[in-house]
Amino acid sequence: MQGWPRRILLLAFALSIAITVIFAMRAFQHRPHPKVDDPIRPWMSVPYVAHSYHVPPRVLFQAIGHPMEHPPDRRPIAQIAAEQNRPVQELISDLQDAIIRERQFPPPSLSPSSATKPIQP
Amino acid sequence: MNVSEQLLAALSIYGLPLLFGVILISSIGIPFPMSLLLVAAGSYVEQGDMKFWHVIALASAAAIIGDQIGYLIGRWGGRHFAFRIGRLFKKGEDSLKRAEETARKWEGMGVFLSRWLFTPLGPWLNLTSGFTEYPWHRFLLWDALGQVLWVIIYVCVGRVFSDRVQAMSEVLGNLAWVFVGALGAVFFGWMLWSSYRSLGSTKNNTELDAEPSVADYHTT
Repeated sequence: MQGWPRRILLLAFALSIAITVIFAMRAFQHRPHPKVDDPIRPWMSVPYVAHSYHVPPRVLFQAIGHPMEHPPDRRPIAQIAAEQNRPVQELISDLQDAIIRERQFPPPSLSPSSATKPIQP
Repeated sequence: MNVSEQLLAALSIYGLPLLFGVILISSIGIPFPMSLLLVAAGSYVEQGDMKFWHVIALASAAAIIGDQIGYLIGRWGGRHFAFRIGRLFKKGEDSLKRAEETARKWEGMGVFLSRWLFTPLGPWLNLTSGFTEYPWHRFLLWDALGQVLWVIIYVCVGRVFSDRVQAMSEVLGNLAWVFVGALGAVFFGWMLWSSYRSLGSTKNNTELDAEPSVADYHTT
């Protein structure tokens, strides 16, 4: 095999190497980092944000002025924002503020051991 | 919101029927972010909103049905078209038949691996399997094995990284292309190496032929 066929093979080989390297770099760049949270996006539901940021969903529903239902509202943030006639970015900032507040000052809660004990008068 | 985000938003509203529909359409060959939706479904399983076996069963069924449609398109549409084109060229029909024989040897493993490892190649292999008349029962077997494995892997990744859906699906999408690129590099590298080797052996043979023999020395 000589001439054009070999040139095409060389080109295909180089292209395959390039695809491997480029996508490996992209995969490395996007790897999940334990200390970096996924940014809040309009497709996310409030319970998903709560799960992702490890905060109680009640706190987030309260922050956006939406009642906490059982089971919780699973609609995307964008849809809740449209229902409340607010820009979605405003809702996202409210959620971010609530997460920061919650992480700085988590509400006092009963520890598992104290929860089983009756409260002494 | 882009298409991926709109699909994720729709998944949180419509759940499993949407997952089924999107995977079915994508398996035929229309590019939708299937891996993203499967990882997201895994996250919903972890959060208790979806049942693990429901996701596995529905997503696998959708993928397998979509693949069968792709296979049928290749078998009834592509084959006639390719042979009609092949007849226009000298020895075109013979080349196509040789290609069919080679494809049949490797198609089973190719179908299986393209379901869960080299996923971007999946829809193409459905078409070529139909086109080369790879036996349907074998295609179905390898396809079902590969698809169930693919769905289990992606849903489990979604469960483990349930709080990192977007980042994880980006990683998986990119890794699928890394595997395709590596496969291409190995395949084309091997072809190049064998072509250089055959060129080297022909050169050696011509050099040996050109070397003067003992009889030549005596005559001079």
